[in-house]
Amino acid sequence: MADVSFPRLSEDAAAKGVVSTWFVASGERVDPSTLIAEAAVDKADVEVYPETSGTITLLVAEGEEVSQGTAIARIE
Amino acid sequence: MSITTPAQTASPLVEPEPGTRRLSTAKAIVEAIAQRMRADDGVVVLGEDVGAYGGIFSSTTGLLDEFGTDRVLDTPISETAFIGLGIGAATEGMRPVVELMFADFFGVCMDQVYNHMAKIHFESGGHVRVPMVLTTAVGGGYSDGAQHSQTLWGTFAHLPGMKVVAPSNPYDAKGLMTAAIRSDDPVIYMFHKGVMGLPWMKKNPRSIGPVPAAEYEVPIGRARVAREGRDLTLVTISLSVHHALDVADRLAPEGIEIEVIDLRSLVPLDRDTIIRSVSKTGRLIVVDEDYQSFGLSGEVIASVAERDPALLRHASRVAVPDVPIPYARDLEYAVLPTPARIEAAVREALPSKGTLSSPGAQP
Repeated sequence: MADVSFPRLSEDAAAKGVVSTWFVASGERVDPSTLIAEAAVDKADVEVYPETSGTITLLVAEGEEVSQGTAIARIE
Repeated sequence: MSITTPAQTASPLVEPEPGTRRLSTAKAIVEAIAQRMRADDGVVVLGEDVGAYGGIFSSTTGLLDEFGTDRVLDTPISETAFIGLGIGAATEGMRPVVELMFADFFGVCMDQVYNHMAKIHFESGGHVRVPMVLTTAVGGGYSDGAQHSQTLWGTFAHLPGMKVVAPSNPYDAKGLMTAAIRSDDPVIYMFHKGVMGLPWMKKNPRSIGPVPAAEYEVPIGRARVAREGRDLTLVTISLSVHHALDVADRLAPEGIEIEVIDLRSLVPLDRDTIIRSVSKTGRLIVVDEDYQSFGLSGEVIASVAERDPALLRHASRVAVPDVPIPYARDLEYAVLPTPARIEAAVREALPSKGTLSSPGAQP
């Protein structure tokens, strides 16, 4: 089991961001080549790929404000 | 750099099964360009902010990193100069993808576009081809004012010599881009900002969708029946396809069965698919985010009338009235072909069904 963390996009540790797009749904199989999300802080956005393979469970909704480093998905 | 001819690359698949991998429309466009660049050294990208910035609507993100500054060129703000550069490269056998940042800016480069890009093949008696793609962002809905919100596809489609395409979803966006780059004709590729799936814009849910990983083509000039129905035909293109589908979904519980046709290209116009549908439904509404007069909406209705006017029990259009796009949000949404305007037009076209069931119709 491994968590996918919201990427650190800002040097301001307190800056919050959103998962702007989920490209996968809970229950889907993913691997490190799967584009799972786009994450955005302020006007910067970055693609998110998992580090491990498995079945993904999404932990936050699109557009929900989260802190950098927060677990946004779990892979089992 | 080696210059390739079309014969040197194998034909990709035509409209394969979508599969399960999802991309945004913007990423689907980039993937198509990148795969063509890997296959053909003659494919290059140029325009304003197409390099490090990745295109202001993310239509070229990452291409500079993979292909370098020899093949991904940021140009100065002179559309005449860099579109002319693209045309020259195309006549010499390359396949440039040139971005005009907003279609609204065509005024400063139209001589290159319609007198040169579009006519060189004709004027040379077919001896010189211009296998170029001119990409451009179109459409409104996000308060960008009268000079950054137009679609203008009717203007380009009116002038002979160019194919004109406008995808509504990621699958078509990739397949049409591959087809556009491989085409020996100049192609205007118009992407609506509202279907790109950008993180910073209001996102249409269908702007993220399944896209095959391998290269494939969506044929230019073939419309798609996006939804089947027997009561009325909505013919539309680009972002308005989604509004039409939303209205069709909303009215289905009332027993109103709407057929939605996504034209996907204006030139060539798939008149046969339109006429086949209207032959079934007898009622036609054209939804067009371009100006109403002298454009796509009139052309579609005329195409049916010329084939057989008896097919039409009803014909009307939901387009932008002939005024510039306002900046103020409420005014802008008053002129855009919104779902509310489309629904009202459908109810007017289907008086018995529309009136009977209208009291409970609003969500």
